[in-house]
Amino acid sequence: MKTISIILLAWMSIINQAGQDLYVCKNAKISLYSEAPIEDISAETATGTSVFNASTGDIAFSVNIRSFTFPKSLMQEHFNTDYMESDKYPKATFKGKIQEKIDVTKNGIYPVTATGDLTVHGVTKNRSITGKATVDNGTVTITSEFIVKCADHNITIPRLVFHNIAESIQMKVNATYSPYK
Amino acid sequence: MKKIIKAPLIAIACLLLSHFAAAQKTDTTKKSTSADSLMSAIDGPAKAEPVIATFKSTRLVLSQTTQTVKKGNLNFQIIHRFGDVAGTNGGGKEFFGLDDVNDVYFGFEYGITDNLNVDFGRSTIGGLLNLELKYALLHQTTDNSVPVDVTVLGEWDTRPYSSFSSYSARLSYLGQVIIARKFSEFLSFQVSPSFVRNNTPIPLGNEQQFLAIQSAARIRLTAHTGFIVDYAHSFSTYKQAQDPLGFGYELETGGHVFTVNVTNARAIQEINYLSNSDASYGKGQYRIGFTISRMFDLNKHKTKVEN
Repeated sequence: MKTISIILLAWMSIINQAGQDLYVCKNAKISLYSEAPIEDISAETATGTSVFNASTGDIAFSVNIRSFTFPKSLMQEHFNTDYMESDKYPKATFKGKIQEKIDVTKNGIYPVTATGDLTVHGVTKNRSITGKATVDNGTVTITSEFIVKCADHNITIPRLVFHNIAESIQMKVNATYSPYK
Repeated sequence: MKKIIKAPLIAIACLLLSHFAAAQKTDTTKKSTSADSLMSAIDGPAKAEPVIATFKSTRLVLSQTTQTVKKGNLNFQIIHRFGDVAGTNGGGKEFFGLDDVNDVYFGFEYGITDNLNVDFGRSTIGGLLNLELKYALLHQTTDNSVPVDVTVLGEWDTRPYSSFSSYSARLSYLGQVIIARKFSEFLSFQVSPSFVRNNTPIPLGNEQQFLAIQSAARIRLTAHTGFIVDYAHSFSTYKQAQDPLGFGYELETGGHVFTVNVTNARAIQEINYLSNSDASYGKGQYRIGFTISRMFDLNKHKTKVEN
């Protein structure tokens, strides 16, 4: 009788454990950068949100387009109104799965590949994005660098615009997660 | 004995059921994963933000807009109005007014803060120098908790010393409240009740001070272009007055905004056209004009983004 109860208890705790492997980040740093002949374009935000499920590998990111700050206010306005149309498409998101298993109990650096849907400017593309996960005493940091091509997401750049705007934008993501309670 | 065995059995059954239920739960959430649902829980809908780019520039054809130049930015404007396209002073001999210049305005607008601007300019008509303070009081928000933009401006104008009897006779003042709303990404509309005071009435015989109203709309054509309509009416006793009405095509190219317009108003500055506007569309007294504005960002910038 006793052994059965112990087994059951152990079983229950395992079930509970599996549900608690969620990690959350509410201040993910996301930056964009593109080199252009006249002036480089750069912007950053530190208010991206992300959720990572260490047991299944599911990962999700979301960022408010309006939260990106540019050094030049006019550039920021044009980014929102003319290119990203942030009134219509207020967020950019990524929903996918990390292919590799990350052992959150063991400190270390893991190269990772996340495959899933990247939605920018209302257009969803299936992407495979590489990055790096660092486990350090229970916190997980995921960093990634990848390219977003304007044309892939129907972001049109008119020829008349004097700003030389690059066709592809370099994105950097840095999210430090803590366990979700 | 039977009873004692029964209790753990029931417990096991319950546990199995609960496990089954849990398994089912993960099944139903398979499409939207647990990370997904947690995401929507912590992320929530986009929060209310001030509406931006109600207008693409600080001036339309006639009116100033609710837009302000952001902190540390300098907006330089050249505004030009040609001569009459048609009528007795227009036509082919004047190359439809392009040989003639009615008014030229040079202006500088500087952002002391994002909401407070100091503007300075000069017009050909009357040699008018103007100094203006403009303050954005309210910003329309995306959730409509603030439904309109409200910007106030006060302008102090002076004419050169010539036929005036005293210094104060050379002065004029303009006060304006600009109320604007971006109804959709395609339509912005504004109305500006105004107060004009000319220490020396313009033209002579007109009132020294009167109220006026201006209204303007911008229709977005593409992300970078728009069509603008601009209208003004003065509640003055000036009999020959024709209400200024202008139409324009706006093109924004990064740091520049170009406007090509047609209007019956000869003057560019509010003081001038609200006080004294007698050019009539019916007599061919309308003209081509243009505005070029260039934004200079005078803030110091770091070149690299660190991450």
